[in-house]
Amino acid sequence: MNILHTNGIYHDFKGLEVLFDVNLEVKEGERHAIIGPNGAGKTTLFNIITGTYCPSKGKVFYKEKDITTAKPHELVRLGMGRSFQITSTFSLLTPFQNIRLGILSKRGVRFSMFRKVDKMKAITEETDKILRRVNLYGERDIPASALSYGKNRSLEVGMAMATDPDLVTLDEPTAGMSRDETRNAVELIRRLTEGKTMVIIEHDMDVVFSLADRITVLARGEILAVGSPGEIRENQEVKDAYLGEMEV
Amino acid sequence: MMNKTTKWILWIVILAVVISFPKIFGIYYTNVFVLFAIFALYSLTLNLLLGFTGLLSFGHALFFGGGAYATAIALTRIDGLPLLPAILIGGLTAAVFALITSPLLVRVSGTAFAMLTLAFGQLMYVFCLKFRDITGGEDGVGGFPIPPFHIPGVVSIDMTDPANFYYFALAVLGVSAWILWFFTKTPLGSVMVGIRDNAQRVDYLGFKVPHTKAIIFLISGGFAGIAGAIYALLQDLVSTDGVLTIGTSFMPIITTIVGGIGSFAGPIYGAAILIILDEIITTYTERVELVTGVVFILVIMYAPMGFAGFLGVIKQKWLSRSFARTKMEGAS
Amino acid sequence: MDSTMAMYVAQSLNGLSYGMLLFLVASGLTLIFGMMGILNLAHASFFMLAAYFCHTFLKLTGNFWLALLLAPVVAGFFGILCERFLLRKVHAFGHIAELLITIGVSMVILEGVKTFWGTQPLLVATPPALAGFVLVGDLKYPIYRIFIIGLALVILGLMALVLYKTRLGMIVRAAVANADMVNVLGINVPLVFMLVFGAGTWLAGIAGVIITPILTVFPGMADQMGMDAFVVVVTGGFGSLIGAFIVSLALGELNSFGIQFIPKLAPVLMFSFMAIVLAFKPMGLFGERE
Repeated sequence: MNILHTNGIYHDFKGLEVLFDVNLEVKEGERHAIIGPNGAGKTTLFNIITGTYCPSKGKVFYKEKDITTAKPHELVRLGMGRSFQITSTFSLLTPFQNIRLGILSKRGVRFSMFRKVDKMKAITEETDKILRRVNLYGERDIPASALSYGKNRSLEVGMAMATDPDLVTLDEPTAGMSRDETRNAVELIRRLTEGKTMVIIEHDMDVVFSLADRITVLARGEILAVGSPGEIRENQEVKDAYLGEMEV
Repeated sequence: MMNKTTKWILWIVILAVVISFPKIFGIYYTNVFVLFAIFALYSLTLNLLLGFTGLLSFGHALFFGGGAYATAIALTRIDGLPLLPAILIGGLTAAVFALITSPLLVRVSGTAFAMLTLAFGQLMYVFCLKFRDITGGEDGVGGFPIPPFHIPGVVSIDMTDPANFYYFALAVLGVSAWILWFFTKTPLGSVMVGIRDNAQRVDYLGFKVPHTKAIIFLISGGFAGIAGAIYALLQDLVSTDGVLTIGTSFMPIITTIVGGIGSFAGPIYGAAILIILDEIITTYTERVELVTGVVFILVIMYAPMGFAGFLGVIKQKWLSRSFARTKMEGAS
Repeated sequence: MDSTMAMYVAQSLNGLSYGMLLFLVASGLTLIFGMMGILNLAHASFFMLAAYFCHTFLKLTGNFWLALLLAPVVAGFFGILCERFLLRKVHAFGHIAELLITIGVSMVILEGVKTFWGTQPLLVATPPALAGFVLVGDLKYPIYRIFIIGLALVILGLMALVLYKTRLGMIVRAAVANADMVNVLGINVPLVFMLVFGAGTWLAGIAGVIITPILTVFPGMADQMGMDAFVVVVTGGFGSLIGAFIVSLALGELNSFGIQFIPKLAPVLMFSFMAIVLAFKPMGLFGERE
């Protein structure tokens, strides 16, 4: 069963065409990676899926529902969550407050103004639970701007998970991380996405091959190949497209 | 951290001073205090946008003046209108103005937001100036009856007595300020701070940013209207030059910056500082705003967190010193 | 030419001359915004400052041309001081701080003007060489208004020359189009900022001087012109000179005919126009970035 699929997506920026007839299929429960050389259109496709852009042509379906023109907040309510490539946490708020916003949203506490949020026990408990899962409980109450880069990335992923999405989309979650940090991040992502569907864009092939069940390769705006990590590793076309960029 | 006992003592002292104020300082300063409380609430409502939501409004006089005019006109036109409904009319009218302008305001931020609010503020100014049948034009609306605070069969207090009005106004303004403070502590209040830091992310967490902003405008505008209503009652006169000029819109920005943009109480400090400054300067020169302007510039340049930030630094220093002392005592 | 026709011609010429003046003020404002990202709320205060200095120079020398030369330079000098010692210091605190400090500057200039020159309106006579009227058919039209249009055109030409033919102009245009670019080009950015700010306030100063004979010099003149100039910059498109030019002229005519036909609602038209443009195009009609 496909949880997400796109139907003939085309996209152009002021005449510059970046996507041609992309039919992406993501099965329920799988960890799906989108890879490709620079300029292949990965980020554009990602932004179309997550509601930042509207495609020039084609449709996006999530759980058989047309979400082509849906706004980000509507997608979240349908059960999608996303992280950002450029760290996009609330820098003046603490990790606790960052995650709590996600929890509030998940529980539908969106316009409540008659109770103090600090007094909402269930919310606090659930927030703390997530903080522990992303190893940020120790830094619960310091501003996010004071966290290390790696910790901020964890928070970023934690926020994507806080709304308890069925489909998590991660935009280069390990960008800019050291080897050790990357290894920890991969572990964290593996743990957090247990039993969920995940779509990930990633440059680091080690991360891709250790996380993904299935891979879609984009090149020059078109889907070049879809398959298991093993199949992609052996695919001659993919190797050619990367022209040695990827050591497979 | 301040411990509980000191906090209680502080509150009791403040309360005692506030209660005995009219007896000690006389009518003139009693009215000055009411003016301070009005400006403090008005500034708090602006800071809800500026400090908490990250939106700089150049047209907040629309709400303050709107509330003042609504209350004044209602008291002029409706015979026997009681006190509290009159104030409520001011607040609700301002909230309605916020509601009407919000579909446009929620779409923009930054400089465009500032300019759009400026345009709305100016529109209101021009309307009130031109539609003299209702608003009295340049002369404004004045000399309307100030109803007593009346609960049938229980009590009826004359509000033309400055001391009585002082207690009444302070109660209304104090409760309003408390509601605003409470609002910042609610879930919606935390979403508001999220919008300030990163509106896009708030959207991606599943919140409707425009709707949330609209509610914030409604609350900010409504309470600014209540501040305006009390102002109308205090002055018994409302005019375009008094409550609708750009100066009226800039005033709470200045108090908020001087008092401290980063804290809830900052605008209250700022209003106090400006009122005191005003009282001192007027004894020397007519050019009060020259000094205010210079102070404002200096604060932006050298103390961007304002008076509240300054207090924070003092507190920190005091804390670290007492901390060092306990440490030394422990070592010896 | 019948009298109705004459009225139309006179009003449209009035609108044109005001629009030109407006453009002199707004062009500096929009250049500063495009380059530095600051909406200078004190911009019209420099316009007013020049008008007051013009009055003083006239009183001292009796020579309008000297005043026309000197007063804008003084305004530009104050502008440079303001940029160098105030704006540059708070640049690191972000746009809101810069916006706010210009409010402070406008307050100080306004109060300073009241302190030095008083609150009474001051009159400046039309220079004798430009007093009198030209006859266009039946229409007697003041020479001075024609002079305003002419001078503004000359300055417009000079500005175009500087912007399109000199290295500085090239840098400014590049910076307006893409603010990050100047940083990469290895240019002394603070110096360019200061010059642009100085030039912008100088232009406002010229407008301040040439408006004095048709308007009295009074403390409220900054607010009046400032509002119109903001509307121009905001609706024309933040940072767009073409937009500023077109909207200036349109607003000049709107103002002129608005006062003629619907005196009550002329300002309402202007602000409504701005509100509608902003609501649907937050970057203005010709603006590319916010």
